[in-house]
Amino acid sequence: MNTSSDKIKVLDCSAGDNEYLHKDFHGALCYIIKYLDEVYGAETLEEYLEQLAKSYYSPLIEKLKEKALPALENHWKDIFTREGGKFSLHYENNTLVLNVDECPAIAHLKKTGQFFTHRYCQTTVVVNKTICHEAGYDCTCQYEPGRGRCVQKFWKP
Amino acid sequence: MISCTEFIPAYNELFKFLERRGGKDAVVKFWENLSDSFLTKLRDLAAKKGLTGCFEYWQNVLTEESADFRMTLDEENGLFEIRMRYCPSMGRLIETTHIEPYRFYCEHCDTLYRRVLEPLGFEYHIDLSSSRQAKCLITVRLPPARFKTKKPRKTKK
Repeated sequence: MNTSSDKIKVLDCSAGDNEYLHKDFHGALCYIIKYLDEVYGAETLEEYLEQLAKSYYSPLIEKLKEKALPALENHWKDIFTREGGKFSLHYENNTLVLNVDECPAIAHLKKTGQFFTHRYCQTTVVVNKTICHEAGYDCTCQYEPGRGRCVQKFWKP
Repeated sequence: MISCTEFIPAYNELFKFLERRGGKDAVVKFWENLSDSFLTKLRDLAAKKGLTGCFEYWQNVLTEESADFRMTLDEENGLFEIRMRYCPSMGRLIETTHIEPYRFYCEHCDTLYRRVLEPLGFEYHIDLSSSRQAKCLITVRLPPARFKTKKPRKTKK
């Protein structure tokens, strides 16, 4: 920080000075879920998440079609590592299994005392399902709401 | 899990989704709701510490978002400003070539922050004339009659 006088405080940062990791965005997503559920209903939340998966995650859908399950494996490895989640990835026959022992999003929201909705994990369920179906794959996500643990499986039928 | 690093595209796609359902009014209504429910940190800091609270709030948010900016707090003259040289949100949307930034994307910063700061007695201004280049200027002032006391108005919330 640059302080040019006792009365004036200046903070000047360049884009590369800090890592891009604003975990409070998980809290904002919880408010989005709550808002859509309360104002428009549960089906609208699913519709929004499906459209998000088809638009924003279209490059991942294409990678899954081209490179098969390693594309998803790399995706999960990248985001869970960056966010400091406790997780493991392995294959059972032709199924990719993602074990999340501590979801970094839920851990952050609980640690900071932010609003959390038990519908949060539906974002994973719906986005995963849409990405997989678009690419000709299938998936499951087993979780107990609010625990911050889940088992996600991905395979080609 | 939608990573916090993927939140901005999810936010952007939500605005488009809401506009398709109910026009821009539906988007603005969501921004107002998000401001009231999610921006409690800014509201509390600004109410308690005035412009210093604004500085503290954005210092945390903008460093976590890896923004390219210059932030100035001039307590003697009752002025706080953020010169955003490259907004991490709009910048990412511009760089993400497979989705289009929502046409009124940057207006969320006007609605969200104005709605927090003006009821506390601050004057809030945002210059979005260069927002398509991911640049903007936010100015928060205490009216001359008030900055000499350096005390923000108490909030009812």
